[in-house]
Amino acid sequence: MSAAALQVATSAAFLVAAAGLAWRLRLHLSRDLLVVGARAAVQLTVVGLLIAAVFAEPPLAVAFIGLMLFAAAWTAGGRLTGVPAPRRRAAVAIGLPALGATGILIAVGAFSPEPRTAIPTAGILIGGAMAATSLTGRRLLEGLTADADAIETRLALGDPIRDALAPTVRQAIHTGLIPAMDQTRNVGLVSLPGTFVGLLLGGASPAEAARLQLTVLLAIVAVELAAAVLTSELVTRSRTGPGDRLLPKG
Amino acid sequence: MTTADADATTSPGPVVVAEAVAVRQGGRELLREVTLDVRRGRVLVLRGPSGAGKSTLLRCLNGLVWPDAGVVRLDGADLRSLPAPAVRRRVALVSQTPVMLPGTVADNLAYGLASPGPDRLTRAAAAAALPSALLDRDAAELSGGERARVAIARALTRDPEVLLLDEPTAALDADAAATITTTVRALADTGLAVVVATHDDTLAAAIADEVATLPTGGRGAG
Repeated sequence: MSAAALQVATSAAFLVAAAGLAWRLRLHLSRDLLVVGARAAVQLTVVGLLIAAVFAEPPLAVAFIGLMLFAAAWTAGGRLTGVPAPRRRAAVAIGLPALGATGILIAVGAFSPEPRTAIPTAGILIGGAMAATSLTGRRLLEGLTADADAIETRLALGDPIRDALAPTVRQAIHTGLIPAMDQTRNVGLVSLPGTFVGLLLGGASPAEAARLQLTVLLAIVAVELAAAVLTSELVTRSRTGPGDRLLPKG
Repeated sequence: MTTADADATTSPGPVVVAEAVAVRQGGRELLREVTLDVRRGRVLVLRGPSGAGKSTLLRCLNGLVWPDAGVVRLDGADLRSLPAPAVRRRVALVSQTPVMLPGTVADNLAYGLASPGPDRLTRAAAAAALPSALLDRDAAELSGGERARVAIARALTRDPEVLLLDEPTAALDADAAATITTTVRALADTGLAVVVATHDDTLAAAIADEVATLPTGGRGAG
């Protein structure tokens, strides 16, 4: 049996074993487990074929990155309830830092401009920026409501709007950066991140894998901070008016 | 107090004027064509049922809300043409549920001031009937009446020309309400212009030089 067939057969055996255990324990999960397993197999096969085509055609790579950004903006924008043009704002907050950092990493030669490298790099950074945008945006909108009395008190005491909002904005950015900070703090201790594992499986030396993983990880921290700051700026602008005023919701 | 201020104190002209001020929000009319004058050394009491727009009007008078129609003037200038932080120091608002900022009472009084000398804090505390022994207390531990007085003292540290008070005696016991009543009247007697939105008949009767009534739906004028 070839290595590929062995991999597929082993993973299928795990799925069947899980479904069998669920059936034996009467968890009413067997059918769902088999369905999600089959679905994952189909999705990954399709994406694998698509990626193969994209890797071969650089213009398709640009379109693929655009699609990733669109999907990320759609998801994160959905969290910005009550903010006008939420998905456009999310696209700016995610796209500027993620694509900017990808460009810098390629421009300085840290990563090759080939689709095989550029797409995963952009994907990781877009994903990180999406998480920071969603978390920061949601926390900031909650904070603007919860802290409304304190914000108005500061405004009434003569604070400019930026100063009055500073504690709420700071808290939102802190929240938005929690996943990136935790991931960076615990890297190698709690989990081995995808880039590192992928490079090792691909035959890279541990030193090379660690170096590239560190590059990606530190870029993610910077990208997520920039996305969180941009998100708070774009949300703040939508909720403040001239004359240092907090505008009512909606 | 400067000579100019002393002149202003005795000046008969209004310091703040609302001219046909209207505010709408989400298709609802919060305030409809309210016109009134606020004069130095006088207490203007705003009356009206809940929802009449008293709080909205107070927030218009210090620029926290901009009217959809009409204009608010401070010494003749459209409020919207003036720098908002400076306006809010001159026209100080104390909200119905005063928020204590983190720290001690003294921290609250000094909040946002570039050089808050101890004299300035003590003077403001005394004017608001706040015992100086309270200055070192954690502001989060104060009673409702103490919070109300800290909020007034905090507004006074900015040396305002107008003091706007939103239901200053709501949720206070009789003694605390009486202290606020005496304090407000004394502040007006020093030349400060005071506007008080209240449901409290005792307070209104004790302090009002003028009364403006806002009927339900915001229609009315002073």
